[in-house]
Amino acid sequence: MLDETRSLDATRADLPVRIGASSILARLLRLSGGNATLTTGLVIAALILLASSIGPVLYGRDPFALHTASVLAAPDGRYPFGTDDLGRNAFARLLVAGRSTLYVALPATLVAFTVGTLYGLASGLGPRLLDQALMRLLDAVLALPGLVVLIFFGAIVPLNTGSLILLLGLISWPSLARLVRNETLAQRDRDFVHASRQLGGGLAHIAGTHLLRVMAPVLVVNFTFLVGDMIFALSALSFLGLGVQPPHTSWGGLLQEGLDLVALDAWWLIVPPGLMIFAAMLATSLIGQGLLARGGTR
Amino acid sequence: MTRIFWGIGRKLGSAALSLAILITLTFVLVHVAPGSPVYQILGPKASPASIRELNHALGLDLPFWQQYFRWWFDLAHARLGYSYSVQRPVGSLILSYELNTLALQIISLVASLLIAFALGLAHGVHYDRTLGRVIGGLELALYALPSFFSGTLLILFFSMRLGWFPAGGLENLRLAHQTIASNALHMALPCVTIVLLTVPALSRYFAQSVHEELGRDYVRSAAARGASPSRILVHHVIRNAMRPLVTVLGLSLPSIFAGGVVVETVFAYPGLGWLLWRSALAQDYPVLIGIVLVIGILTVLGNLLADIANTLLDPRAAYA
Repeated sequence: MLDETRSLDATRADLPVRIGASSILARLLRLSGGNATLTTGLVIAALILLASSIGPVLYGRDPFALHTASVLAAPDGRYPFGTDDLGRNAFARLLVAGRSTLYVALPATLVAFTVGTLYGLASGLGPRLLDQALMRLLDAVLALPGLVVLIFFGAIVPLNTGSLILLLGLISWPSLARLVRNETLAQRDRDFVHASRQLGGGLAHIAGTHLLRVMAPVLVVNFTFLVGDMIFALSALSFLGLGVQPPHTSWGGLLQEGLDLVALDAWWLIVPPGLMIFAAMLATSLIGQGLLARGGTR
Repeated sequence: MTRIFWGIGRKLGSAALSLAILITLTFVLVHVAPGSPVYQILGPKASPASIRELNHALGLDLPFWQQYFRWWFDLAHARLGYSYSVQRPVGSLILSYELNTLALQIISLVASLLIAFALGLAHGVHYDRTLGRVIGGLELALYALPSFFSGTLLILFFSMRLGWFPAGGLENLRLAHQTIASNALHMALPCVTIVLLTVPALSRYFAQSVHEELGRDYVRSAAARGASPSRILVHHVIRNAMRPLVTVLGLSLPSIFAGGVVVETVFAYPGLGWLLWRSALAQDYPVLIGIVLVIGILTVLGNLLADIANTLLDPRAAYA
């Protein structure tokens, strides 16, 4: 904490106070500790969140309306991102697709984060036998690429918002669990943990109060990466037809529709959804890298 | 030396345990999966008598534990059952698609390694200078580029606009009328997509270990003895920086066997990933389970080999 305030002061002194847009930029830079990577990531993430949350309301066009007079129209003043093969407004669809992508990806991240952290803590703090058992189970789960498991279950369970959140969340936790477990093993013999135990602190108290606090920086960085992984996994699943189901759509689903029409050279149906996924993953990766670089100065 | 053997023995043991858990999990999944195979095979109009008969023939009327042991027995004899949708034994179906996947993946892996080596070396040597930062930014951007987007863009430009490469349509690499040239044309774009996918992580990893090795004492002492920078790089740094790549290669094995599911789907490339996707859409459980098992087993074995190679390369790893 001390280090953070120091780096904040340092940047505040470095940055001359300006007016207008540059002063907003300066404030953002100060907020992110003068780290350009982190600032860029945060700005992109904020733009995506705004576009997906209030974007559909602000734009106000019906994403489901069929404009049969202008099917597969290229972008123009009326349809900024053109129309698809049914004459639907591609820009309106892109905005609601972002909404349903984040509706699934963000809660799924929370599920995976919670499960992974608890599993890792249990493995790291529990008896040796439990640790061995949990880690072998983890090895077996990690033996399969996540996408393969997702496709497998995507074929078995009925797909809706709730099941997708659980599916993505319950499959993406293992690598975080291993990380938390290793962190726990590294921290559990430190003096403050022993002191807490001597004072009568139970395992849950030690885990919740001390270990989680020590691990907070690592957890925040990995939460960010997890968001990116989740957006990627959901987009890939939707692209394969096993994610968000019609009539709802997602960035991955839009991209799949674009690929189906690739022979008609409808680039406006391919580039925008692809760029949105790219931007979302770039943002999480920049934020994560920026946080890492900031933590690395300690 | 005994230590090393113990270390390898322990790794063998834990690999065997992982496999047993994986096989058990798959067995449970088969039985939890909704819909009986009998229904899938006979269709909705089957008579109760024929359902009973097939249930008996498939051993589905046996108690749970007997079915579990039969599952192991069948696996030990490499019997994975029959596909519902294409009426072929799962084993031979998987094998014929896996060969296509391996061909694509091995070519792509060699290309990725060469590019990642060059890029990572430049990045590692110029770590904190402009060139290093530019390469680092490029890696970060490529890392965020999903393969289904890059693949679709490649089709849009190189297949549709320029017409240089086919957008898909390969049936099988080993058909008689397929020439090497036509195979190469079909594999070019999938290959580029996979390279774009694997290079950023590999080269970033290699760059980091080159950067770390360059800061070590032996580099300074070699420089003090008058070794030229290129000699230090080739004879000392690269050799040491390569070792972690063995581990990374071991870790990337699952995706090699699975093939980029996404890449194969984008280009309709007849590999294992494409088969997995088709079987998922058709809810063809025997094939799905067979693929999951095969990938899992190959991965555990691959990781085991990487572990053993690491132990032999660096005996300290036996203690880890």
